[in-house]
Amino acid sequence: MSVLQCNNLTKRYGKAPALEQVSITIEPGRIVGLLGPNGSGKTTLIKLANGLLTPSEGEILICGAAPGRATHALVSYLPERTCIPTWMSARQLLDFYGDFYPDFRRDAAEEMLQHLDISPTQRVKQMSKGTREKVQLIMVMSRQAKLYLLDEPIGGVDPATRDYILSTIISNYNPEAAVVISTHLISDVEKVLDEVIFINRGQVMLQSSVDEIREEKGMSVDALFREVFKC
Amino acid sequence: MLWLFSGDAPIYSQLIEQIKVGIVSGVFPPGERLPSVRDLATEAGVNPNTMQRALTELERDGLVYSQRTAGRFVTEDKAMIETAKRALAERHITAFLDAMTRLGYQREEVINMLRQEITGGGNGDVSLAV
Amino acid sequence: MLRKLLKHEFRATGRIMLPVIGILLATSVPANLSLRYLLDSRTWFLSMLGILMLTAFGFAIFGVCIVSFVLMIQRFYKNLLQDEGYVMLTLPVSIHQHVWSKLIVSSVWFIVTTLAVILASCIVAFDIDFIRYFFTGLGELFQELRKVQAYYAINGTAIIIELIVLVFLGLVSMCLQFYAALAAGHSLPSHKMAWSVVWYFGLQFAFQIIAFSGINILDQVNFFYWGIFHPDIHLSAMAGIHIGMFLLIFANVVYGAVFYGITTFFLKKRLNLE
Repeated sequence: MSVLQCNNLTKRYGKAPALEQVSITIEPGRIVGLLGPNGSGKTTLIKLANGLLTPSEGEILICGAAPGRATHALVSYLPERTCIPTWMSARQLLDFYGDFYPDFRRDAAEEMLQHLDISPTQRVKQMSKGTREKVQLIMVMSRQAKLYLLDEPIGGVDPATRDYILSTIISNYNPEAAVVISTHLISDVEKVLDEVIFINRGQVMLQSSVDEIREEKGMSVDALFREVFKC
Repeated sequence: MLWLFSGDAPIYSQLIEQIKVGIVSGVFPPGERLPSVRDLATEAGVNPNTMQRALTELERDGLVYSQRTAGRFVTEDKAMIETAKRALAERHITAFLDAMTRLGYQREEVINMLRQEITGGGNGDVSLAV
Repeated sequence: MLRKLLKHEFRATGRIMLPVIGILLATSVPANLSLRYLLDSRTWFLSMLGILMLTAFGFAIFGVCIVSFVLMIQRFYKNLLQDEGYVMLTLPVSIHQHVWSKLIVSSVWFIVTTLAVILASCIVAFDIDFIRYFFTGLGELFQELRKVQAYYAINGTAIIIELIVLVFLGLVSMCLQFYAALAAGHSLPSHKMAWSVVWYFGLQFAFQIIAFSGINILDQVNFFYWGIFHPDIHLSAMAGIHIGMFLLIFANVVYGAVFYGITTFFLKKRLNLE
């Protein structure tokens, strides 16, 4: 069964459409890039998958079910900005995730925190912006979810952190789970992806495998993206 | 091992190439167990499925073989590694010769330059004199 | 899951409420000393100090009430409708459980605040005689009432209990009115806070009109006449008070239920986090 499926999914804010007639399918074991310029509808799609928005038309299914309490247990979501409660310490965050998600691997999270020299007693409030992002990513990637939805995980972080984030995604790879990475920084993530979905003005322009693009067009996904979205 | 990727060729074929170099140059010695797909993918910073595809291809060529439970191993057949080495070298030579031809050198000139470069110990002045 | 939500909600609110309550209790002791000794002191400095201590206590009472009230709104707003909402509303937890956890924790803190204020007041008034008189007086009052008629003792107690229930439900439906206004206001694309305020007063206005017309209708059908003054039915004054109390309690439950419905509807169907 596909992990994520959209059938003629449409979302309007007032009259302006943010997504229009989107139909895509994402299979387990895939790392998929959701690529598009700013304001193309990437975040809207991810929020719909998390039930943070409701579709205007069409449907979105996660492992066959509409977003809700049951699918929240299957989806691990990294929002576009850091949203973890700032008053908590790293250890309280571990408690929090461990309490609500049975698939949370606390030992894995503790190991990653230790690897980054983040003390469990340090409060999120006292951490730098980069550290907060890393901590939130650690919480998200320490779950054994069926679908990881990572909204701009590498936007606005330094190159070393970027490498750390990408290698965390790769080393947590699970053939049963799919990972969706939304970004506009394509050259950085290209090697990590199986497939890409190009999205512009709320519409899907292309869904293809990275090596297919390279084989058929003789250019990198980054180059193709620049050609498709040339201003 | 340093993994480098160019822009346009498919990633899996670049991976095949680089693992071959690793085997030929002894980073992965004959008969040795290869790291797991996930570890190799993490090290190279590539998608595990792509790494898997590259290894399957290498398996088909015979440079790598898998044992059901123990994992993947580099072939012990030294002759096969030698052939792979030769093939890689030939590819480099062809590419080099193509580049020189584009610069307008004749084969004889190229051979002379190479000889001078090697016997002259790669001295910069000598190459300038040519 | 509700239990876990409650646990983390108490963690989040306790770190603010407990110190504030601690301060309240801490200021009550010097306030008590001021009342007993300092104010009567002939030394200007000491009586001044006594006044300051008492003022501090007054501010502490005021502060604890304000904090528990603000915290009720702020936890709902910040935790569900701001950035933290991304984490909270994607937990495998239902919207109902979210609203209940906020409601229960706020109510508990209201009760704790009330008890703390009572306790602090007792500490301030702690003058062995006073406390003793108070309780023996209360006991005697009931004894006397029972002597006269058990009727008054029982009804008096019942009315006090009804009053407590009424105040408590009033607080709960007030919480829910804030939640409903915030949830509805934040479903709109912009000026979320302004819209929340509009919603709050809109709800207030709507319920006043409904309550007013309800009373009006009851009056029109001569409910009060039939119920209270009609010779055939002729309820006693005591029964009238009880009926009135139950009507008010019922009205509060209805208010609360409607606000609850509005809150969960907007969080479920019209969520619009940005």
